[in-house]
Amino acid sequence: MMMMSSSGKQSESEAASKAGAASVEDGVGGVQVTTFSELVDDVTLHFQIIHLPKQIFAWIGCNSAKFGDLYAAAPTRPKNSVSVASILGGASDNTGSGIARRLVIKTGLNVIVACNMPKNSPMLEANAEKKLVEKLIALGYSRPKSPGPGLSS
Amino acid sequence: MGGLEPRFPVPYKNFSLEIKGNSTDLVVCRYDDHFLVMATQIGTMGTILHARKEEGVSIQPTFHVSVIFGKRDEPMLLAIARQLIEQISSSASSLPLVLSLGLKDHSAETLKGIVSAVMENRLCLQ
Repeated sequence: MMMMSSSGKQSESEAASKAGAASVEDGVGGVQVTTFSELVDDVTLHFQIIHLPKQIFAWIGCNSAKFGDLYAAAPTRPKNSVSVASILGGASDNTGSGIARRLVIKTGLNVIVACNMPKNSPMLEANAEKKLVEKLIALGYSRPKSPGPGLSS
Repeated sequence: MGGLEPRFPVPYKNFSLEIKGNSTDLVVCRYDDHFLVMATQIGTMGTILHARKEEGVSIQPTFHVSVIFGKRDEPMLLAIARQLIEQISSSASSLPLVLSLGLKDHSAETLKGIVSAVMENRLCLQ
């Protein structure tokens, strides 16, 4: 027996970023998909965040829609450490692996990250990460362990 | 700068259905060089598989399917990946597939449910 419901709601959220990009959010069932693009130093960064009840998938595209390398990262008990695994393409020194790690540190979420950004572009990496973390916090997905400035409860 | 916002470069479809009594959320996306299909009943991506069409000279296409993260002892997951890559390759383009399956049950009915749900909603994959 299959019953299908595909009523998605689309809403434009605030467009207050410097690049003036509006993000599109689309939620159905337990899954919310948010997409937005930003122009940063002549590079177009595309972001897709798929929010599942217990996990986040984030894709970052740098000037293209290539899937890139795939990483999984999560907080690891008993200490407050973070584990990262490269699961497709990539290596431990590629850009995506650092982003995945810091995403977990800053948000406390269980994440899967796909990223096609070049290596050796620390400014670009830092910008992309910052935009992504800001958006995750703005959407209320983050679960930081300790309260930080500007986080809503 | 006014004018139209360029479309987001990754077409996707997000939908939900019930398979054997389990509420299943599906997301289907097309990147430049991969398809991503996510089917979850458990709130996480679950096991992640990779499937691709092999380049070969023979007339019959062959496919390579493997688990890249998660359960490696559940053959039904590989079967779902294989069915999907075969059907997608024959009806849409032959990009490799990243498939995530977070399932509560691994029965044949669930396989059929997921494969048919994805194929019915594959327009964004073309």
